[in-house]
Amino acid sequence: MADVTAAVRSPPRPVEAAADRPGSIRVDHLSHTYPARDGPVPALVDIDFAAAAGRFVVLVGPSGCGKSSLLMMMAGLRHADSGAILCGGRPITGPDPLRVGVVFQEANLFPWLTALDNVAFPLALRRVKPAERRRRAADMLRLVGLDGFASRHPHELSGGMRQRVAIARGLVQDPPVLLMDEPFGALDEQTRMMMGDELLRIWSQTRKTVVFVTHSLGEAVYLADEILVMSPRPGRIVDRIAVDLPRPRTYEMMAQPEFSRLRDRIWGHIRGDHAI
Amino acid sequence: MRSDPAPWRPPATAVRWTIVAVLLLAWEILPRSGAISPLFLPPLSQTLAVIVADRAEYADALRVTLVECAIAFVLACGGGIVCGAAIGSVALLRRLMLPLISSVYAVPIVILYPVLTVWLGIGAMSKIAFAGIYGFFPTVLATAAGIRTIDPNYLVAARSMGANLGQLMLRVVIPASIPTVLAGIRLCGVLVIVGVVVSEMLTSTAGIGYLVTRYRTVLDSPHVFAAVLLIVLLTLLFDLTARLAERRGARWRPQDQAVESFRAAPRDRTEAIAPAE
Repeated sequence: MADVTAAVRSPPRPVEAAADRPGSIRVDHLSHTYPARDGPVPALVDIDFAAAAGRFVVLVGPSGCGKSSLLMMMAGLRHADSGAILCGGRPITGPDPLRVGVVFQEANLFPWLTALDNVAFPLALRRVKPAERRRRAADMLRLVGLDGFASRHPHELSGGMRQRVAIARGLVQDPPVLLMDEPFGALDEQTRMMMGDELLRIWSQTRKTVVFVTHSLGEAVYLADEILVMSPRPGRIVDRIAVDLPRPRTYEMMAQPEFSRLRDRIWGHIRGDHAI
Repeated sequence: MRSDPAPWRPPATAVRWTIVAVLLLAWEILPRSGAISPLFLPPLSQTLAVIVADRAEYADALRVTLVECAIAFVLACGGGIVCGAAIGSVALLRRLMLPLISSVYAVPIVILYPVLTVWLGIGAMSKIAFAGIYGFFPTVLATAAGIRTIDPNYLVAARSMGANLGQLMLRVVIPASIPTVLAGIRLCGVLVIVGVVVSEMLTSTAGIGYLVTRYRTVLDSPHVFAAVLLIVLLTLLFDLTARLAERRGARWRPQDQAVESFRAAPRDRTEAIAPAE
């Protein structure tokens, strides 16, 4: 565990990375409109941001602001009307699990597979040899702290454990970018806090670029290097907040004035937009 | 029933087997003691003796029935699952076909049987056709409903991991629908047995159902009950096999979900048997 603590103490500080470094992700003037009965509804307007390799970026905004849609577009699961998404300098045109791993809100594990086989699923799709599949999946389960649960089926795991399996599955192909769509949204408050710490530990060990969607203000401040605040529909980025709290983040920091100031700043945007 | 936890409860299996044993015992004792006329209920031992004595006749009849059941089962089950999967997964087909099939399901299909005997004769063909149709529609409905319960999030997750269409089918849709399909198979098999036996009882020259009717008209109760007993055993054997397969194929399901297959059971199995009385 000594090396883990060391890794946490010296987090991956972002450097001014070239836009084509493998882990960098760039959303370039992206807009999207949904067709509806009484005319087209703009959902996302001119979303433009970049995350350098190794950064922890949080997208926060009210329900229905399009933050999940945006993440699905970054995962290549949906297409935008205009604009582009670049990962490591190359555009994302469809699902590309070698560049981008995804963790969903509901853990979305396949109930007919064991924890190990769920984690190995992306490898099986690429016809990796069974022995290697098992080895890599077991490594990932160890990373997320689920040693000894390999042969359990999802319904035999708690909600937090299921999300750990989902994170392991997102990481198993070692993609430089991990997209997380409200991964802890369905968990209770205490589990959620612990999973936040777990995620930061995993992040510091793997040095992925993380783009994390949430509607929890505290979670956003606690996790992020940088917070992008989105407005209600049509979603646009109304603020970019650099979080300079030291790492590792601790529970005590949540009581510090800097923490509250950042949380209030996000809330100001969200409440302000609601009043209009 | 009781809200407070009982200190000791006999295991459910033991209770079930006790009930079976009591019923079998009553079957033996009641007619022998004179409480029930042997014409209405011949003793179990006499019924078994008849099966042993006339085993050649019963074996022939059983073979005819089994072959009819097997063919009808393959047709109804295969067709039902394929059609059900198509209707369940394609929205257009669902809109077009589902109301139609639901309506057909409500019709007592046994009224078709006289027509089928006119078209196909009173041999095995008409039984296979009738039992096949009888098992087909509920299987379509059960499979279609099951396919629709596949969580679309599974497909999104698999796509995010780079699954192509073939892999989606092979690794997500098929495993996800196995429990439904197995429940459909069980339902289909039970209905097919009902269909074959009923049609044999109505118009035929062979089969176990035919023996029931023939011996009933001459008031030979032991022979009637011998045939009934064999039908019951046949059905139980099938049900047991299917249930075992279901449990093996759906081991990953939490227990409470496995119960759902019972809800897919036919609404009223007696609807087809009634006209035979």
